[in-house]
Amino acid sequence: MSLVSGPGRAGTSSALPEELQLAIEPHVKYIQSLDTRKDEIEYWLTEHLRLNGLYWGLTALHLLGRPDALPREETIDFVLSCQTEDGGFGAAPGHDAHLLYTVSAVQVLATVDALDVLEERGKGGGKLTVGKYIAALQNRGTGTFAGDEWGEEDTRFLYGALNALSLLHLLDLVDVNKAVDYIISCANFDGGYGMSPGAESHSGQIFTCLAALSIAGRLDVVNGDKLGRWLSERQVEAGGLNGRPEKLEDVCYSWWVASSLAMIGRLHWIDGGKLTEFILKCQDPKEGGLADRPGDMVDVFHTVFGIAGLSLLGFPGVEEVDPVYCMPKKVVERVLEISGIEDADPVYCMPKKEVERVLGVN
Amino acid sequence: MASHGLPRPATTTQRTEEELKEEQRQIQEYRDLEDLIRTKIAERQYTVEVLQLTSKLLKKNPEYYTIWNVRRRLLIHGFFSKPSDSSSLSKELPNTSTTATIKASSTDLSSSPSNTTATATTIPHNPASRNHGSNGTTLDLIRADLEFLFPIMLSYPKCYWVWNYRLWLLQQANQRLEPDIARELWSGELKLVSKMLVKDSRNFHGWGYRRKVVSELESAALHGKSMTEAEFEYTTKMITSPKGLSNFSAFHRRSKLIPKLLDERGADDQARRLFLEEEFDMIFSAMYTDSYPYAQSAWFYYQFLMTTLTDPVGHAIITPDFTPEERVEFVIRQLADLVEMLDGAEDNKWIYNALIEYTLDLSQMEERQPRLDEKQDCKLWLAELRKLDPLRNGRWDDLELFLEDVPLRPRDI
Repeated sequence: MSLVSGPGRAGTSSALPEELQLAIEPHVKYIQSLDTRKDEIEYWLTEHLRLNGLYWGLTALHLLGRPDALPREETIDFVLSCQTEDGGFGAAPGHDAHLLYTVSAVQVLATVDALDVLEERGKGGGKLTVGKYIAALQNRGTGTFAGDEWGEEDTRFLYGALNALSLLHLLDLVDVNKAVDYIISCANFDGGYGMSPGAESHSGQIFTCLAALSIAGRLDVVNGDKLGRWLSERQVEAGGLNGRPEKLEDVCYSWWVASSLAMIGRLHWIDGGKLTEFILKCQDPKEGGLADRPGDMVDVFHTVFGIAGLSLLGFPGVEEVDPVYCMPKKVVERVLEISGIEDADPVYCMPKKEVERVLGVN
Repeated sequence: MASHGLPRPATTTQRTEEELKEEQRQIQEYRDLEDLIRTKIAERQYTVEVLQLTSKLLKKNPEYYTIWNVRRRLLIHGFFSKPSDSSSLSKELPNTSTTATIKASSTDLSSSPSNTTATATTIPHNPASRNHGSNGTTLDLIRADLEFLFPIMLSYPKCYWVWNYRLWLLQQANQRLEPDIARELWSGELKLVSKMLVKDSRNFHGWGYRRKVVSELESAALHGKSMTEAEFEYTTKMITSPKGLSNFSAFHRRSKLIPKLLDERGADDQARRLFLEEEFDMIFSAMYTDSYPYAQSAWFYYQFLMTTLTDPVGHAIITPDFTPEERVEFVIRQLADLVEMLDGAEDNKWIYNALIEYTLDLSQMEERQPRLDEKQDCKLWLAELRKLDPLRNGRWDDLELFLEDVPLRPRDI
């Protein structure tokens, strides 16, 4: 998947049609064309994002209701070609392993229902090898995670690890409680979270912390009202969302902020109609793709997060997205084996899980 | 991301044949360079030439994380002497045919292409420089690499990989050099990051890097001592500079420094009370004089100050020994000041917002339900909020519901 920006550009307000619509077909074509642009230098300069790009493009296509728009076998072959001997994945063949790409690899394989190919064709012991690569990146002292062998730590990596391990059903390889404690230590007075203790609240980091807490089943540690107030103030007059106070709005925050609000049950604290309008203004209705702001160059990163934002807002014709995994909800339910309807406890007439938790039954 | 904030030209022009050819040439050159590095690394050629090739590639593409990793491995396996054994240096180098070409003063290890291939394959064997701690060569290499990075950081101030590589280099200095020499390097970083923050006072990476640099400079390992007073002063400077009141990053940092600052000052109850009052004064007078009160960074800092009073569990970091009565008294005074502030600023949503929040908090602090007059005030303020800030109507709906049945449920989940 190429990260080359353009050729499309986001529309400008003067050129908007009366009724705003999502240009599904152009977006599909735009994403399909990305891997054919090898005659552009930017294709090569963005090789370090190739596997992330595949995840962004594939997820966008699934949300647009076109899951078969990329060839499945080639997709799987490419993912496997990025795996390194230690079980992790690099951005492209020959690139070093890093958690960021390992997560994308797992997400892509999960989305095309191919996690089992790891057992047959993956390095070493299949899924477990991937899980062990990730688990080894946990700082057992503090609970957080490094991105790779060189040791940079960030709550982005902590989330990535829990995301991939849960999809692999291998969460027990790591100390989830310690990871939760670490997230708590990153909380700020405004209710938000930063990349490490002491760091400023940032909507991207808030997403990673809330999503990690969701996977750990520990959203109870969040101050929902306070955080909800801070997050809702990310919406600016133009309808878009920014990542921190008094910064410019950007389509990708349609995902980081809106999914965070969704996770704490306060998505209705912003104006969904205005956000929808902003996102649609960022698309190029002819050439396809979305940009960070109206009038800018489109790219696949902003394309997926814009479409995922529309999905959260219930835009017609877009598949439902899971706010924790940023993957189609159907996929997450299939992989995590969630049946949709929780088991009820016949004695208490409450969810069985809850009763077991309260009574300490396991 | 490649195209953040990148405007598209008004028209998409077809590229000429020549432009297309030129792009193909660039692609070929780039890919050849990549291949050359990979080949040489596969052959374990840990030489200055390869180091210079990575410089060339990284200048074209600083996001290429694998090449930063290659560079790390080159330095570790080919150039740095072992922390305990400086004499092993020459043995680790595959070719030792010529003399020194790397100097700390050069801005870039690859700045001189004429000596890339033919001559430069080794490191100075200068006994004098070795006197610096474990060895002078490692220091020279680290310095030269820090200088190589600087222009890249200026051009790509948001590239994670570059900041990260820089930190790694300095950690190498901690491991391989005498503490006082490593300390000198970290001190230089404080100046560097100050420059970066002048260029962009909100750079997320810059603030994170500053925190890291300060904690290193404070560490016992580097013979450091607390820099809390100086750092606090730095946030004052940032906040009071032009547009400083919009600098949420500086306010955030300030909020984190305060508890340490007061502890280190050994502040007693009186000093702490005074400190809190001065912080409130600072915010209020700034809002008045700068006609600022319509934007949010300073209001979030105001919220921080109020939280230390209204939500004492885990937050009472300024005046921990205030009695409940003292906290209540302080909040009542703040509410009066806010009402006064409304005069002439009736269109300011942040004041209404604060009035509602702290009126409700006050009743909680006094362990009672809001009085009828308080409820009525809140409803009036809420009506103003609906008018001034319709984007957040869903939030106001929830607040209204809450005001309806306020005695029935706790406020925060």
